Amino acid sequence: MGIVKGDQMVLNIGPQHPSTHGVLRLKVVTDGEIVSDIEPIIGYLHRCFEKHCENSTYEQVIPFTDRCDYIASMNNNFGYVVAMEKLMEIKVPDRVEYIRIIMAELNRIASHLLALGVYGLDVGAFTPFLYMFRDRERILDIFELTCGARLLYNYMWVGGVSHDLPVGFVETVYGFLDYFEPKLKEYNEILTYNKIFIERTADVGVLPPEVAISYGVSGPNLRGSGVKWDLRKDEPYSIYERFDFDVPIGEGTVGTTGDCWDRFYVRMLEMTESAKILRQALKDLPQDGDVHQAIPKKIRPPKGSIYQRTESPRGDLAYYIISDGSPQPYRLKMRSPAFTALSVLNEISRGWMLSDVIAILGSLDIVLGEIDR
Amino acid sequence: MGNYLRNIWETITTMLTGMRVTFQHLWLIRRNNVTLQYPEERWPRPERDIGFDHSNYNVIRSRLHVDIDDCIGCLKCERACPVDCIKIDTVKVPNRGEDIHSIGHTGITANGTKKAMVVSRFDIDMSECCYCNLCVYPCPEECIYMTGGPNSEKHEIDYEFSQYDRNDLIFRFAKKVSDEEIESATSISSERES
Repeated sequence: MGIVKGDQMVLNIGPQHPSTHGVLRLKVVTDGEIVSDIEPIIGYLHRCFEKHCENSTYEQVIPFTDRCDYIASMNNNFGYVVAMEKLMEIKVPDRVEYIRIIMAELNRIASHLLALGVYGLDVGAFTPFLYMFRDRERILDIFELTCGARLLYNYMWVGGVSHDLPVGFVETVYGFLDYFEPKLKEYNEILTYNKIFIERTADVGVLPPEVAISYGVSGPNLRGSGVKWDLRKDEPYSIYERFDFDVPIGEGTVGTTGDCWDRFYVRMLEMTESAKILRQALKDLPQDGDVHQAIPKKIRPPKGSIYQRTESPRGDLAYYIISDGSPQPYRLKMRSPAFTALSVLNEISRGWMLSDVIAILGSLDIVLGEIDR
Repeated sequence: MGNYLRNIWETITTMLTGMRVTFQHLWLIRRNNVTLQYPEERWPRPERDIGFDHSNYNVIRSRLHVDIDDCIGCLKCERACPVDCIKIDTVKVPNRGEDIHSIGHTGITANGTKKAMVVSRFDIDMSECCYCNLCVYPCPEECIYMTGGPNSEKHEIDYEFSQYDRNDLIFRFAKKVSDEEIESATSISSERES
């Protein structure tokens, strides 16, 4: 941070501030109202996830992965079990794969709804937040129906899922999709194309693609900068190659490519794509098959290591697991997409007003549980 | 100048578009109402049948319960717990499968397994529990479950297991007898496992 000059002021935002999306502290050096430097200080939510995993069995890690990115727990489970299955070379039944895709995409919609709603809240629009939370609630109800938990599921297990789908699940999800897809138009009307919102977000916090790539930013933040990179498409894991969907990218519709509005709008479009995947998965869902069939009695992977990347709602979520042949992982590293998104904050918000920093931070959609782990 | 006026025009029109959406909700408040008057009315709990006994297992995770008469003290749930919130002590019985009336010990479980252990302590600290359900699956006697489980008619499904004191969240499922009573009843040198 260096020496603070006389006409500069250091301002602390957080750790308990509604706009920092968790317990993040931002040390902002301001010159008047212009931000000249930001230092994010993290670690307030550090729970020793990686070290804790070394003392837990492979099954016991799954509830901990829930608690990293608590907005999209299913996707965190998904990444871990995909990595473990690759390490142990387990062939998962088709029904399980489809159930997982359905759950992951539902959770992606729920996560984006929360991100967009809270983003509206950040820039001063309260009503969209209420509407998006109302619809997110319906997804959580579907999860509760399936596995009994609303937020931290422990649903995907190595080789299977914990509960089979309940009776009438497919109709419930179809009902949700029929309800949800027209609502996207409503969100666009009330928030996306609102002139005040556009003035707050367009041309603000432009993240050029080369900066994004050099910082390792991934997911909707990278796609907002116009880079067509989606692991579901480019490095398909599980059965994503069977689905037909587009990868929306930011095109600078109202401002510059890679501004806050683009990052926002990419998430909006991604929800449409997720709904598309959901409809295909529900149509092809195999009717029979035991979801517990491929679950190993004892999880004791062979010696070796695995690095598996998956596309979580926040981006490139990866697990690096080293196994020494014992029932506990020797080392487990989680590559968190929100961490890289936060690291780019200083680069893109220098020179902007203090109130724009809140808009930029919100558009990056960080979850502190995942950054600190 | 033209740009200035266009900005004003766009602001007014897009705001009115947003207002229209909001007003629709105002008119249709009875139809689209999602707010719940919480203590008076409650959200319907999902009903579903799956699990051990397909007829009466509900999936909701609200609190752990143990049918202590069925517990054989195998410690599988304790080992499965990622946060170590289950604490079990056991004492060996002299004759396997026999009832010991003085301490209320039943010898045979509902599944017909002969018990070799008296469970002298079975504590679950629900303030530590992470509701992951991992302890439920290994149980060979299906005696530990989230309430609303196999005995949903015995245990009301309830989300609000709130307590005034944190100590009240430690649920002690073992029979309330002292260690001396167990020792004299089993009358062999007690072998402790924690």
